[in-house]
Amino acid sequence: MTGPATVEPELPELHFASGLPGFPDARRFVLVRLGDEASPFSVLRSLDDGTDLEFVVTHPALFFPDYEPEIDDDVAGRLELESADDALLLVIVTVADPVAASTANLLGPIVVNRHTRAAAQAVLGNSGYATREALVPT
Amino acid sequence: MLVLTRRANQSIMIGSDVVVTVLEVRGDQVRIGIDAPRSISVHREEVFRELEAANRAAASPASGALEDLAALRPPPKP
Repeated sequence: MTGPATVEPELPELHFASGLPGFPDARRFVLVRLGDEASPFSVLRSLDDGTDLEFVVTHPALFFPDYEPEIDDDVAGRLELESADDALLLVIVTVADPVAASTANLLGPIVVNRHTRAAAQAVLGNSGYATREALVPT
Repeated sequence: MLVLTRRANQSIMIGSDVVVTVLEVRGDQVRIGIDAPRSISVHREEVFRELEAANRAAASPASGALEDLAALRPPPKP
């Protein structure tokens, strides 16, 4: 179990219609703050039965201010995004030891429709981004 | 593996909800269109495998690591 958590009021439950690669049956998630209000991290926690599945995520703008992925038409259609403003981006963090060596997956951001809370993991093909980009320069 | 031969503008059904269409054949490249419901994701295979491996590596970190991570802050902006 993780430590004390606060449910982020803006996104109570997210729905991944096709799960995530590696976890195709994980459809329902809730976003929970990790740590105090100053923490840049949240936990994307699966609500589906029989699983303790969770991912650490962060808003990419916090660590990667130049990251502006283009969401392709397929993802935009699946999530019914009418404009870039409809989308919230999150990136999955692979926690390392020491934690300062942790990385974010910029190749496969999570895209959320703010209004419907439909979500999917997109793929930025030919972008040059990696699944493990250092959060903190070493 | 089931192997079928198609020409441009011919299609293949996978189950009753997925339609794969050969759009164009040019040199050593084939443009393929896929119609699938939202419950089924569609990815280039090598990229899917990369995401799958990354997601599995990131899944469910230990609680001790989470506590340490919660204290990490973005570097200050220049």
